Amino acid sequence: MRRLFIGVTLFFLIAASSAAQTITVNNNLVFGDMFPGVPNTISKYTAGAAAEFHVSGTNGAEISIQFTLPTKLTKIGVSIQLIFFDTDCAIDHRPNPDQSSPLFDNLDPWSTLLYRLGVQGLTIYLGGTAVPRIVQPPGAYTADITLTVAYTGA
Amino acid sequence: MRLNVMNRSVKIILFVALAAVLAVAPVVNSQDVATGSATATVLTALAVTSTAALVFGNVFQGVSATIANINAAAGVYSITGQASAVISIYMALPEFVALADGSDKMTISFSSTDASVDTLGGGVPTGMVATSGYQNIDPHNFPAASNIGSGGTTSIYLGGKIYPTIDQAAGAYTGDIVLTVAYTGT
Repeated sequence: MRRLFIGVTLFFLIAASSAAQTITVNNNLVFGDMFPGVPNTISKYTAGAAAEFHVSGTNGAEISIQFTLPTKLTKIGVSIQLIFFDTDCAIDHRPNPDQSSPLFDNLDPWSTLLYRLGVQGLTIYLGGTAVPRIVQPPGAYTADITLTVAYTGA
Repeated sequence: MRLNVMNRSVKIILFVALAAVLAVAPVVNSQDVATGSATATVLTALAVTSTAALVFGNVFQGVSATIANINAAAGVYSITGQASAVISIYMALPEFVALADGSDKMTISFSSTDASVDTLGGGVPTGMVATSGYQNIDPHNFPAASNIGSGGTTSIYLGGKIYPTIDQAAGAYTGDIVLTVAYTGT
């Protein structure tokens, strides 16, 4: 009977340790008002303008991080070139992540990134550059940035 | 008999425990996907129009002629764009005007006070006053703070001076004045 109790308890512990990872979009990548012909770069360090994603899950577990990045901002019939450089991403898995000085900096958002979740999960920052044409039609332009994370099992 | 009861109790406890675990165990995702967005709002594009040429009219050989930037004959350019946006302005000014066939040329000059930037966008040189923007400035070097007026239009007025020689060939002389305007991003 005592063995059975221990077994059930272990089962609970094992089940509880397999917490699912979840992503929260804390902030979108916001270029704001742009003048035609004037490129605008949003630094990954800029709070409130850089994209910010938070991943929660099992402390210490390794996850793969993969962006599906757009190459243009669009509105009906027209687009703006959108550039993500190979240093536009940063990650911080400390309990109190610091966007101005992230723990893992200058990461390539076009590559699959492997990092471990911290106690409070992991925060991802993403900057980018938009290049409107001189005769860019005015209006609101948008694009989707998709982030996929998965446990690697390591 | 006692062993059978015990086995049965164990089975019941196991079943209940398993059911409880299945009920509370979190569903483990193999992956999670989130979609954020990138957004931008593009402001009004710049447009530049030459609405009036700098016209010296009839001039006499050997007699220079001057048109002030406040004169009705001054050159007028209209710039439209995002209200209050700062712009850089560059004028490519000719050193001479010429007959269409190129057979004769006439010197033209622009002094350091030959231009005005009317941020009210009135488009009328004679209506330009100091409070309208930048008056009597150098067309070779426009102020860095030049901007589109609050109404979304700025006008530029340009004067100049020509120097016909005493043996200047008669005819119509022309030259190109090219205005380039760009947003500075502020």
